[in-house]
Amino acid sequence: MMEQKAKKRILLGKLGLDAHDNGVVIVAKWLSDAGYEVIYLGFYNFPEHFIEVALQEDVDAIGVSFLGGEHLYYTRKLTDLMKEKGINNIKLILGGVIPSHDVDELKRLGVSEVFTPGTLRQTIIESLGKLFKEGM
Amino acid sequence: MGINDKKEIQSSYLEGERLAHFKSLTGIEYKEVYTPEDISDAPEPPGVYPFTRGIHKTMYRGRLWTRRQQSGYRSAKESNERIKYLLSVGQTGINVDPDLPTHLALDPENPLAQGDVGLQGTSIVTYEDMVDLYRDIPLDEVSNTMIIEAPSSAVIMAQYLLLANERGIPWEKLIGTIMNCPLTQLVGPTYQSITTFFPVEPAVKIALDVMEFMIKRAPRWNIVNINAYNIRETGVDAIQEAAFALSIGQEYARGLIERGLDIDTFAPRIGFFSAVHIDFFEEIAKLRAMRRIWARIMKEKFGAKNERSLLFRTACQTSALPLTAQEPLNNLVRAGIQSLAAVLGGVQSLHTTGYDEAFSLPTEESHKLSIRTQQIIAYETGVVKSVDPLGGSYLIERLTDDLEEQIWNLLKIIEDKGGFLQCFLDRWVEDQITEKRHQLGEDMDSGQQPIVGVNLFRDDRDSTEIAIFRHSDTWQSERIQEIIEHKENRNQESVKRALDALDEQIRKNWEGNCIEVIMKAVEARCTLGEIMDAIRTAIDFKRPGL
Repeated sequence: MMEQKAKKRILLGKLGLDAHDNGVVIVAKWLSDAGYEVIYLGFYNFPEHFIEVALQEDVDAIGVSFLGGEHLYYTRKLTDLMKEKGINNIKLILGGVIPSHDVDELKRLGVSEVFTPGTLRQTIIESLGKLFKEGM
Repeated sequence: MGINDKKEIQSSYLEGERLAHFKSLTGIEYKEVYTPEDISDAPEPPGVYPFTRGIHKTMYRGRLWTRRQQSGYRSAKESNERIKYLLSVGQTGINVDPDLPTHLALDPENPLAQGDVGLQGTSIVTYEDMVDLYRDIPLDEVSNTMIIEAPSSAVIMAQYLLLANERGIPWEKLIGTIMNCPLTQLVGPTYQSITTFFPVEPAVKIALDVMEFMIKRAPRWNIVNINAYNIRETGVDAIQEAAFALSIGQEYARGLIERGLDIDTFAPRIGFFSAVHIDFFEEIAKLRAMRRIWARIMKEKFGAKNERSLLFRTACQTSALPLTAQEPLNNLVRAGIQSLAAVLGGVQSLHTTGYDEAFSLPTEESHKLSIRTQQIIAYETGVVKSVDPLGGSYLIERLTDDLEEQIWNLLKIIEDKGGFLQCFLDRWVEDQITEKRHQLGEDMDSGQQPIVGVNLFRDDRDSTEIAIFRHSDTWQSERIQEIIEHKENRNQESVKRALDALDEQIRKNWEGNCIEVIMKAVEARCTLGEIMDAIRTAIDFKRPGL
């Protein structure tokens, strides 16, 4: 058996000034219950700090939750930073109030999954499981 | 559809459907049937203490509730257009929401603010923005709610008063509300949201400054609106929503009394903003219970003598928590039912949440549908033709009693712990919220809280497309440039003088009311962010980025 970290590590939080965190708080609990190591950053974060923590904590994925229409602005900042720092082994996952017409652009920017409101727990866990399997 | 699915559906035809449980959203067990034994006395008539059946004798027969949809996006000019459109289709009050940088008092060019400018509301930074926002709107004829909390509310109020001066409208004729509640307005009382950009106790002090200033000069103005809606939207239940809000109301009452004001001078101008969730009878009962409790608190605890001081006046919004991104048209049905509950609960104004809220801000079409929903209830259904038509229902009266008792119990716990602010500072409130959120996640996942189209009858083939509001790609950078230019093109001497005066007052006379010195800073063309940064610095608070 190949050597592996005991648990996959996921950094979760919000970027920018929006503080609507019902969704991300619930998802953090779900992922932690499902055996992931969740590092929860809360909100009012900015991309530089997010990336810094992601590197420090050696995470496997970053999950960001949006609500107010700020998803494209901050995802671009985040993926630019990841490129700049040559980070290509951390998956980027988004969740929240994100209109379907923006999903293609987000995926083009390098986002692996976008979970919009009403996504079931099982769907999130299965998608992440698949994502990490593919990535290995 | 697979064969197995068909079998399941057939079996439900044969066996009949039944609910998984008979508990309310808050966890109260609905009885199989309610009888006269469930109620003690017949409730008092409407308009009579403690106002279970409504704060007015004639309620909607005398005057319908105010239709007041929130609006606000991008520039003040664009928001002004939307306000005028809403008034043209039958909105009867205004309700403006600023963007997040305005709420948090960060100017648009601030690197922390740039990505959020103009998204969740309109960008109000300068006096000129205020002029644009209310162009052609008679401030003494249409009641106007400004969704802004302390400390930013002090600057927004100052801009508004200066606008009234420019238009020659005496302050005593202004009608409307400043939300002004620093403990609830942003996203409810979650700790990090409230304390990151301004410390909470000074924010409460500034909220009291706004209240005190307005109560003495603008007697028709509502000085605070406690946002129970946002409390509820964090995921807590109806009892917590009510108890948290009613305990916050008492905090402000105590604060103003400490400043030497008589309860009867200000209590009539304290308002609430409640949620109406999807549990129809429970929400109606909650509103009735809140009226009773507030009346008793004001009369028995605070000794109010003016009957108007006893009235629990509440604006209302249909809760967005039960709304879904799946099959969005279902949200029209939900919001319609919630709006009916609000009306049967006797609210004073109503915002019907848009069916597209799970995607973006409401479109013009969605805004209009919200107004139409309320007009259909008001004009077509007949439910407004008698006051409190559910009064005397065994179920409603019993549920009102039960909720009242449980809200009182929680109020006592909060008061025993030193009041809401203390509970907030001790993170007790935070713990209550987190526990309920985790429960919400479980209940949605298990189907304990049924959500049609999501955890029940889910149809992944559904591809309903609705028109969705689109944000502009270029507006943010134009707006940022506009504010940079505003700051370059003004008399820098007067700006400096005004900010120095503000700094001096805050440092040397923190106890004094800060509204007048803030008005001078606005007149000197200082921006919201500059004024608040001056105060932050003067009270030695370091916000992120400063």
